[in-house]
Amino acid sequence: MDTFMSEVITSPTRPRWRKVAYGGMQPGFDDNHTDDSFLEEMVMNANVVKRDILKVMLDTVSISQYLCIVALVGLVWTYTLRSILNENSLLLLDVTLLGLGFLVLLLTKEMLSFNLFLRYLLNISFFISGLYVLAPIYQTLTTSISSNSIWAVTVALLVLHLFLHDYFGSTVRAPGALHNPTLTSCISLNASVVASVFIASCLRSRLLVFAIMLFSLQVFLFAPLVTYCIKKYSFRLHLWFSFGLMIATLAFVYTLHLLLFVMLLGLLIFVTVVCPYWLIRMQVYKFEINGPWDEAKLCFDITD
Amino acid sequence: MGERKRHRILMVSDFFYPNFGGVENHIYYLSQCLLKLGHKVVVMTHAYQNRSGVRYMTGGLKVYYVPWRPFLMQNTFPTFYGTLPIVRTILLREKISLVHGHQAFSTLCHEALMHARTMGYKVVFTDHSLYGFADAGSIHMNKVLQFTLAEVSQAICVSHTSKENTVLRSGLPPEKVFVIPNAVDTAMFKPAPTRLSRHEIVIVVISRLVYRKGADLLVEVIPEVCRLYPNVRFIVGGDGPKRVRLEEMREKHSLQDRVEMLGAVQHSQVRSVLITGHIFLNSSLTEAFCIAILEAASCGLLTVSTRVGGVPEVLPDDMVVLAKPDPSDMVQAIKKAISILPNIDPEEMHNRMKELYNWHDVAKRTEIVYDRALKCSNQNLIKRLSRYLSCGAWAGKLFCLVMIIDFLFWHLLQRWQPAEDIEEVPDFVLSHDQDAGISPDNKNQSFR
Repeated sequence: MDTFMSEVITSPTRPRWRKVAYGGMQPGFDDNHTDDSFLEEMVMNANVVKRDILKVMLDTVSISQYLCIVALVGLVWTYTLRSILNENSLLLLDVTLLGLGFLVLLLTKEMLSFNLFLRYLLNISFFISGLYVLAPIYQTLTTSISSNSIWAVTVALLVLHLFLHDYFGSTVRAPGALHNPTLTSCISLNASVVASVFIASCLRSRLLVFAIMLFSLQVFLFAPLVTYCIKKYSFRLHLWFSFGLMIATLAFVYTLHLLLFVMLLGLLIFVTVVCPYWLIRMQVYKFEINGPWDEAKLCFDITD
Repeated sequence: MGERKRHRILMVSDFFYPNFGGVENHIYYLSQCLLKLGHKVVVMTHAYQNRSGVRYMTGGLKVYYVPWRPFLMQNTFPTFYGTLPIVRTILLREKISLVHGHQAFSTLCHEALMHARTMGYKVVFTDHSLYGFADAGSIHMNKVLQFTLAEVSQAICVSHTSKENTVLRSGLPPEKVFVIPNAVDTAMFKPAPTRLSRHEIVIVVISRLVYRKGADLLVEVIPEVCRLYPNVRFIVGGDGPKRVRLEEMREKHSLQDRVEMLGAVQHSQVRSVLITGHIFLNSSLTEAFCIAILEAASCGLLTVSTRVGGVPEVLPDDMVVLAKPDPSDMVQAIKKAISILPNIDPEEMHNRMKELYNWHDVAKRTEIVYDRALKCSNQNLIKRLSRYLSCGAWAGKLFCLVMIIDFLFWHLLQRWQPAEDIEEVPDFVLSHDQDAGISPDNKNQSFR
């Protein structure tokens, strides 16, 4: 123990403080000595991206586009429940949408081979026949539940669906997509499917049930894929398509109910204008700290 | 220095014997050295399986195994006020003057420090780990740490990097944080009596095989080194979730005769494994202070380690070769280590370690911290609450509420269980048996 203090300081100035832990107490310095080099290796806000408001606003167009799509689905449900749309028009709508969707996929995907196309067709036909066979079951699902509760549950499920939806990619994966679907995107997809089933169960005729189920599932399962393909193909086309969709939706909702129109308009403005501005304002508070105490990141991927 | 005051210290942590680890050994050795300096030390921790109640360890170290089971990663269930009665009883029975908590990740430590402050005792906290700032778990942990350290008298960190990290996380003024490193029991970690021959070089790895300790780096480094150097052998001790990956690597490159997997190594066997090697390899991704490196250096092994956290401060440059946590860089470092191996003398390294690290020195420096802590002024409740309010807009008010309820509960307890009814333990001094070692493996004398 005497060896620790055995360094005799012959020079008038004490030795420099060193950032080391060995050798006991450094002579001339207390253990709580804070050197000038304290925190000198700290790096602040190294990875923070400077955001541009115009780009953020353009990115929010995907969100408002999807909101409009969901609003249109709700609109079709309301018209069907009020018997404004009958089976034939619904079936026509379904076939049109299916055809349009396939057309968009064909035009925008670089490599859609004939085999893949046949496989899609086969899957779609299985899907449609399955729905047709199961339609009587949906019809009798909620006979004992009042229609108010059904609407309440449907709205709640749709809100959950919108909240957890993956606006960046698409849950139904196109071959060659980069990201696997996450847990939240699967939950949101399930919520929308359950909401469709609830609404379908309110209807009386079996064919109507089949038609509305087909319509809802088509939109919820494949609309994200179609919009993703459009966005990947050309951003300009995506912007034009979104604006057209928004105008059409607003026009339809206006004819339905004024309050809903005002709410939808308010929501779209909030998402497109207010949120980007708020996000940019909040970036000032970002405080990212990095330094030698960080856990090291492995530079290679762990393949199990 | 004048007459040294005799302190009566309560060490609190969720981590203690019979578990073995950095924090556990630190508390044990520090307590033993403080006892030798003449202070009184009592340890409080939770019950381990059926080990519950009061036990006595070497040197008269009294340990209270409070009868609560751990519920998550060795931590007791946080009940906020549930520990107040038992902590108060222990503090009054043993006439404690100072409470010393260990490890930010220990719920028992935070609760005990909170109650000790409410009752007016001085409090010292030692932080043993590094934490990040970005993920959800770290953010909450840092807030809890801010709460505990808002009122601590002094704080101790085990390395300078750890001090920077703690100051940033908790907002403490840097003058309040002392840097006192861990040490190693050089009497237990002696080099091999005969020097190993160097025609075959043995590299030893002893660590938990988890992601944090860089087991994935080992999977990349070992085959490369075995390929470059036909006379190198690996001994891997330790167990964990990544052991499967290492076994697979062994099978894939057919290294069964060159890589030996020992499984979990008991703490008492660590030295016998270390002395079979020439080089010690540490690949952790984050370390506040790596005691494993000290043990290896004390046994005369040359260390190769990743340059993370507090590791660069631990050993002088001629006893360690540092590398970036990158497989190619580590292979280069091993290459350099093999080339300087002929110049290494294990006995000389061991003797140097005896000078560089010593638990008695750590105890003396800790004593200085205790003296400083006891000099801090007492404050009444209102002034203390104002310090909590500065912790955050919402958190500050929440912390104040917690402390006020604790204060009220304490007063209630004082009426219900008056201090006069708690019997104080008489002091007794065990005659120090200088021949018995103070290593934790041969010390448990429990009075049943």
